[in-house]
Amino acid sequence: MTLELANVLFAATAAVYLAASVLFVGELGGHLLAAARWAPRLVALGVPLHAAQIVVWSMVLHVCPVEGIHFALSVASMFVCFVYAIARLRFRVDVVGAFVAPQALAFLLASRFVGPVDDEPRLRSAILPFHVASSLLGIALFTLAFAAAVGYLLQEHRLKNKNLARIQRLPPIDALDRAEHRFLVAGFPLLTIGILTGTIWAREIEAGSLPGIARAVLSYASWALIGGVLLLRAAAGWRGRRAAVGAILGFGLAMLVLAFYLVRSLVGGVHA
Amino acid sequence: MIIVVVGLSHRTAPVELRERLVAGADALPAVLARLAGREELAEVMFLSTCNRVEVVALVHGEGALDQGLAAIREELARHGGAASGDQLAPYLYEKRGDEAVRHVFRVAASLDSMVLGEPQILGQVKDAYDAAVAAGALRGTLGRCVSRAFALAKRVRTETAIGAGTVSISSVAVELARRIFVDLDERVVLLLGAGEMAEAAARSLGKGARALRICNRSFDRAAVLAREMQAAAVPWEGLEAELVQADVVVASTASARPVVTRDMVRRAMKARRGRSLLFVDIAVPRNVEPEVHAIDNVYVYNVDDLEEEVGRGMKARHAEVDAAEAIVADEVAQFLVWTRGLEVQPTVVALRAKARAVLFSELERSLGGRLKHLAEGDRAALTQMVESGVNKLLHGPTTKLKARAAERDDAGDLAAAVRFLFDLEEAAAVQQAARGEGETARDDDERLPN
Repeated sequence: MTLELANVLFAATAAVYLAASVLFVGELGGHLLAAARWAPRLVALGVPLHAAQIVVWSMVLHVCPVEGIHFALSVASMFVCFVYAIARLRFRVDVVGAFVAPQALAFLLASRFVGPVDDEPRLRSAILPFHVASSLLGIALFTLAFAAAVGYLLQEHRLKNKNLARIQRLPPIDALDRAEHRFLVAGFPLLTIGILTGTIWAREIEAGSLPGIARAVLSYASWALIGGVLLLRAAAGWRGRRAAVGAILGFGLAMLVLAFYLVRSLVGGVHA
Repeated sequence: MIIVVVGLSHRTAPVELRERLVAGADALPAVLARLAGREELAEVMFLSTCNRVEVVALVHGEGALDQGLAAIREELARHGGAASGDQLAPYLYEKRGDEAVRHVFRVAASLDSMVLGEPQILGQVKDAYDAAVAAGALRGTLGRCVSRAFALAKRVRTETAIGAGTVSISSVAVELARRIFVDLDERVVLLLGAGEMAEAAARSLGKGARALRICNRSFDRAAVLAREMQAAAVPWEGLEAELVQADVVVASTASARPVVTRDMVRRAMKARRGRSLLFVDIAVPRNVEPEVHAIDNVYVYNVDDLEEEVGRGMKARHAEVDAAEAIVADEVAQFLVWTRGLEVQPTVVALRAKARAVLFSELERSLGGRLKHLAEGDRAALTQMVESGVNKLLHGPTTKLKARAAERDDAGDLAAAVRFLFDLEEAAAVQQAARGEGETARDDDERLPN
C-alpha cells in the first residue's frame, strides 16, 4: 500500500514538474504565452506532492531522507521549489522557475532511478543532520541565486543589444539583481554553518583522503567567493553583471563539492 | 428609425478646425441639450476627442433622414462658430444605417484611430455615452448600439492583438524603463532640455515617477515647464550631480554636441554605487555619447532604437486588422438583426392585441347572452380556450415575420402588408410610440447575444 502511494506521489510530482518545465521553456521560446502563467503555480503545487513523496518513499526504504546523497538532492530540490514559490511573490522573478522546475524534475528522477541509497553506519554522527540540513537549504538558496543571475545576464545581454522585442519575456533587470542578492544573503550563513559542521564531522570520522581535502578546499573557495561578492557589493557597490558572474561561479564551486559526494556515492568510496 | 453619424476626424479635417469643434466637459451638456432638443432627432450622442468630433443620432425613419442630417450639420456649425453647415460640409462625413453602425463599432474598437489599437478611444466613447445618458438623450436603439460597441471593443482586444506592442516613442520608453526598474513609481526622472519633445516623453515617464526634475540651459524655461508639470527645476551646472540622483534621464536638448559624456557618467556611476541608469536620448544630434552604453548598468537608447520598436509594434497591429474587421462585421450583422426585429415588433404586438380584443369581445358578448347559464368553471375554461386559440393561430405568422426580419431587410414591407390586411395602423402607431420610450427595446434586448 505504502509503495503504491509512493509511486502515485512520485508520478504526480514528476508530471507537475514536467508540465511546469514545458510551460517555462515554451514561454522563453515565445510560445505557450497564455498558459505559461500557470507554470509558477505548478511548481508551487509540486512542493507538497514532492514533500509527501519524500516522506512516503523514505518509509518504504526505511531510511532518513537526508542520509543518501541522491535522496538528499531530491530534498534540496524540493526546498528550492518551496523557496521559489514564496520568493516569487515578493521579487516578481517568475522566470527563475525555468531553471527551478527542470532541476527539481531531474533530482526527483535521480533520487529514484540513479545510484544506491547511502547508508554507511561509519559516517553517522550527531552533527550530520545539522551539516546536511544547512547545506541542503544553502544549496537551495544558491540554486535560486544562480537562476536569477543567469536571468540577469540574459536580460542584460538583450538590453545591451537593444533587443526590445525580447526583453519583455524576462522580469526587470533590477528585480533579478535584487533577487539574486537576497538569495545569496540568505544562503551564505547556511553555507557557513554547513562548512563548519562539515569540518567538525570530517575530524570526527578522522578522514583525510585526497578527495576529501580537495572537497574541503572547494567548499572554502565557494564560501570565500560568495562572501567576497557580498562584501564587494556592500562596500564598493558591486552589482549587476559582476555580482551575477560571482554568484554563478560560487554556485559552480558548490556544485563541484556536491559532485564529489555524488562520485563517492556512485563508486562507493570513503567519505571525506 | 435610422442611426446616422455626422462628424469630422483627423482623416478629413485639419487640427485647426477640429479644435474649434471640440466640446470639453463643461461645454458638452449645452451641446447635447441643443441636439436633444431637435425634434428631428430621437436619440443623440456627442463624441469629442482630440482627433474626432462626431454626432451619433437616431432619426425618425427614411422620411426624416434629410432633416435629421441637416439638423446635425446646423448644430455642429453653430457649435463651431461657422455661419452655416455648408462651411463645414467639405470636412464632414455622413454615415447612415448599416454604415453608421459599422462606423460606431470601428471607432470604439480603435480601428479608425490615428494610432491603430490605442485604448483611450474606448474610454472617450464611454464618457460620451455617460454624458448622453445623463442628458436623457440616449434611451433605446442608439443606446443599445453604443453599449454593443463597448462589448465589441472588448471582444476585439481579447480575440486579436490589435492593442499589443508599443506604438509611440513615449510608450516604448516607459516599457523600456519597466524592464529595467521593478518599481518605476519610486524612481527619479530627469529631463534634459525643456522642449516639446522632452515634455511629451516626460509626461509619460514622469507620470508614475517619484520625482521629476528638469534641467535646461535656460533655467527660466526649465522653471516654467517645472511649474506646468509639478516638477523641480535644477540649474544646468548641477547636471553631473543630478545624474547621481536620477534613474531615468530623458535627453532632448538642441545641443549640437553631446552634453552627457562617458567620463561624466563613469563618475556618476561610482557615486551611485552601480545602481542602474537609463538614458532615453530623443535628441538629434544625440545628447548622450554612444560610449556611455558600454558602462556597466547603464543603458542608452536613442530615437532610432525606439522608433524601430514603434515600427515593429505598428506592423504587428496592422496584421490584426483583418481579424478585427471580421469581428466588427459579425457584431454589425447581429445588431442589424436585432434592429430589424424591432421594426416588426410593433406589428406583432398590435396583431396579437387585435386578435385578442376581437375574440374576447365576442366571448364576452356570448357569455352575457346565450351562454349566460354557464358555471364559473366553464367560463374560465372557455376563456382559456380562446386565449390558447389566439396563441396557436398567431404563432405561425408572428414567428415567420420575426424570422424574415432576422434574415432580410424587407421585413418592413411584410409588416406593412400585415398592418394593411388586419387594419392595424392605429394600433401599430401606439406601439411605435411606446417603443420610442424604450419599452419594447428593453423587452427585446434579451434576444441580442451578449
